[in-house]
Amino acid sequence: MADLDSPQKLSGVPRPPDGVGGGSCSEISTELIRSLTDLQELEAVYERLCGEEKVVERELDALLEQQNTIESKMVTLHRMGPNLQLIEGDAKQLAGMITFTCNLAENVSSKVRQLDLAKNRLYQAIQRADDILDLKFCMDGVQTALRNEDYEQAAAHIHRYLCLDKSVIELSRQGKEGSMIDANLKLLQEAEQRLKAIVTEKFAVATKEGDLPQVERFFKIFPLLGLHEEGLSKFSEYLCKQVASKAEENLLLVLGTDMSDRRAAVIFADTLTLLFEGIARIVETHQPIVETYYGPGRLYTLIKYLQVECDRQVEKVVDKFIKQRDYRQQFRHVQSNLMRNSTSEKIEPRELDPILTEVTLMNARSELYLRFLRKRISSDFEVGDSMASEEVKQEHQKCLDKLLNNCLLSCTMQELIGLYITMEEYFMRETVNKAVALDTYEKGQLTSSMVDDVFYIVKKCIGRALSSSSIDCLCAMINLATTELESDFRDVLCHKLRMGFPATTLQDIQRGVTSAVSIMHSSLQQGKFDTKGIESTDEAKLSFLVTLNNVEVCSENISTLKKTLESDCTKLFSQGIGGEQAQAKFDSCLSDLAAVSGKFRDLLQEGLTELNSTAIKPQVQPWINTFLSVSHNIEEEEFSDYEANDPWVQQFILNLEQQMAEFKAGLSPVIYDSLTSLMTSLVAVELEKVVLKSTFNRLGGLQFDKELRSLIAYLTTVTTWTIRDKFARLSQMATILNLERVTEILDYWGANSGPLTWRLTPAEVRQVLALRIDFRSEDIKRLRL
Amino acid sequence: MSMEDYDFLFKIVLIGNAGVGKTCLVRRFTQGLFPPGQGATIGVDFMIKTVEINGEKVKLQIWDTAGQERFRSITQSYYRSANALILTYDITCEESFRCLPEWLREIEQYASNKVITVLVGNKIDLAERREVSQQRAEEFSEAQDMYYLETSAKESDNVEKLFLDLACRLISEARQNTLVNNVSSPLPGEGKSISYLTCCNFN
Repeated sequence: MADLDSPQKLSGVPRPPDGVGGGSCSEISTELIRSLTDLQELEAVYERLCGEEKVVERELDALLEQQNTIESKMVTLHRMGPNLQLIEGDAKQLAGMITFTCNLAENVSSKVRQLDLAKNRLYQAIQRADDILDLKFCMDGVQTALRNEDYEQAAAHIHRYLCLDKSVIELSRQGKEGSMIDANLKLLQEAEQRLKAIVTEKFAVATKEGDLPQVERFFKIFPLLGLHEEGLSKFSEYLCKQVASKAEENLLLVLGTDMSDRRAAVIFADTLTLLFEGIARIVETHQPIVETYYGPGRLYTLIKYLQVECDRQVEKVVDKFIKQRDYRQQFRHVQSNLMRNSTSEKIEPRELDPILTEVTLMNARSELYLRFLRKRISSDFEVGDSMASEEVKQEHQKCLDKLLNNCLLSCTMQELIGLYITMEEYFMRETVNKAVALDTYEKGQLTSSMVDDVFYIVKKCIGRALSSSSIDCLCAMINLATTELESDFRDVLCHKLRMGFPATTLQDIQRGVTSAVSIMHSSLQQGKFDTKGIESTDEAKLSFLVTLNNVEVCSENISTLKKTLESDCTKLFSQGIGGEQAQAKFDSCLSDLAAVSGKFRDLLQEGLTELNSTAIKPQVQPWINTFLSVSHNIEEEEFSDYEANDPWVQQFILNLEQQMAEFKAGLSPVIYDSLTSLMTSLVAVELEKVVLKSTFNRLGGLQFDKELRSLIAYLTTVTTWTIRDKFARLSQMATILNLERVTEILDYWGANSGPLTWRLTPAEVRQVLALRIDFRSEDIKRLRL
Repeated sequence: MSMEDYDFLFKIVLIGNAGVGKTCLVRRFTQGLFPPGQGATIGVDFMIKTVEINGEKVKLQIWDTAGQERFRSITQSYYRSANALILTYDITCEESFRCLPEWLREIEQYASNKVITVLVGNKIDLAERREVSQQRAEEFSEAQDMYYLETSAKESDNVEKLFLDLACRLISEARQNTLVNNVSSPLPGEGKSISYLTCCNFN
């Protein structure tokens, strides 16, 4: 009912006046009823009104039924009234009690607080009394200890004094015994100064005498006197002197080393190693003392001092190295050699070999040493900074980075490696050139010597860069190797392929001429790579095939090289060399190298296409053309004669076989396969051309079908992949040429084609049909394809 | 993000004297940071940022090189595979501007001849200490046929523009190249055409 009402309310239609109010509940208004004149309509409305009445009655009944339950609920509510009053009284009483208890508790706890305060004050008082007693005790103790030369004891007393709260001392002065404490303090301070002077002096003496136990003894006292910095600085001064004297000794030994000594070639790397090992040993031995007596986080300071001496010694060693090995001189020479059109005499790359190895070794040792320092300092900071804020930690990290990145050792090594890379590049380029120049081919081999040689060299150079442990150096060498292979070496092979595969003998004189011109042309351009010249066509042919094999092997070798390098470097990265970016840098450079493999593959394709079009096509074309001279318009007699004396296909197969045999012997299986694939495509295309130029009768068509089957059967034996697809058009042409009558084509066409997919267009089908001289052109025209 | 999740991949190498702000430019662009007190770069640093330009995902591989002389042989080895070079100098440092011809000689010697070079004058936030006028730099870049831009890594001025404009130019250049390659492709059918772009990976 309400549902019916609501739209009226919403739309704001006023309710009808009273008297007709009953209608307000019904969706049928009185006006509507009055306006009705048709009996049928009236009956319908009446029916609906009756229905509504029934609904209203049902609802009224339901409401009346509820009356009882509502009344009983009212009764219970009345009964609850008095209970509620009782509860209210109880609640008020409870609240009163709680307030009371609360006050009581407040009272009690305030007394406890007062007690606590009193206790704390008492403790402080005791503490101060203790401190004052300590102060006295310290003062007496210091005097005695000093007299007994028990410096440790004296320092312990001073330490105790220094640890006392300064405000306590200040307060003590203001007390009754002020003057006495003042005097005591003065004495203590004097003792402190005296002790400092004594320790410093004794330490100096011990250092001078190299008396390690004494040095360590006083080293331990410094921190007790609050002289951490001074202690570390003085102690490292002592250690530095030891490092220096040892290093000088070693350097003298180097200068006296016999050139025939086993380690003579890496003597400077060895000297650096000794220096680093010495310092590492010092750190190792003295770290526990520093940690125990100076606390964690102080190792950085000690190493900072030591590194200064290390830098000084490294400088000396490297200076000697540069002088004795003529390092800069060699570099300048290489640099001028690397310039294009350089006229100066070339350095023999082999002469650079030992020095390159030594430099990488020197760098590897330095990296190892720096890594050792980093690890030690980091873990020491970690312990010291366990409670420190993030900023302090970062500050410490920054200090560490600065120390290790900016030390002279790092800079010197970076400089040496910078020069090394240029020299290694020269070494690689020159040795590769040499391998190309000395390229030899041994009978029975598919490739010539230079491929293996070049990859051996590239691998060696990258391997040496890797042995330097410097990721940047390694990546640079990978980049340079990529350049060398991708441009210089690929150019060599490219030029060899450009010389072309000479066409044989009589067949194509014109071709021979162009080829000779191109050979001359390229040898003029290229100069050095073409020293051998082309002495005979046979040699030229061989050279071309060998080059194709070489290109393929290059492509494979690059992929292998990439994999090898990847596995070689996993070990390096697992040691965390070169920071978090190292792996990403390396991967990127390596993927550039790997991409060169694809470029060699492209070159191989280019060469094969060239071979196919210059060597195979000129040969195959005439053989196929002889098809035209064999009549395919034949009678029964000729057909059986053909059976006995094959007119074309067997000879063609024989020729193909002979020609491909030459390639099969000279090319790797993979390349040979690609070549036969190209060759079969060529045969299919060319054969199609001549077939379209011939004419056939029924038996001629049958003959062609036989010929094609033999040819396909032969070609299937020489290729590893299916050739059916390439010959699909020809096979379909043979089918057409074999038909009894024109309309028979409809048995194979359109809906009847079955599994056969036609490769010929309807126009081509008509064209082929027209080759049959016994088919009437009207019939062909009439065909509905 | 998977390895192949991009339409274009370009290598950009930043070069220029030490201390002109190469690392800061890269950091600003890739991480939105300006780390004060940046130490000198050692060797080369490597960052990757993928941006979207006209609905295409462009992966920029940015190589930030050390400016110091002793790293030159390392940094030079990256020139050849670079699609673009950002040659940077410091507008408050005459010396860094005067070295530009030397850098151009290096580019000539080591980079691919298809490389796009952009000249960038950095640190325009220090305008009061400017030593190289904009006009001079513009004249120089025009003479060398280079695109020129002034930036501030600190204030983030023109940094996005620098890299995004460069990416746009690289895309259009790459498109042109594939077009040319396809037209002059020597091998119809068998084999794919040889891409002369050294590192562009299409698809």
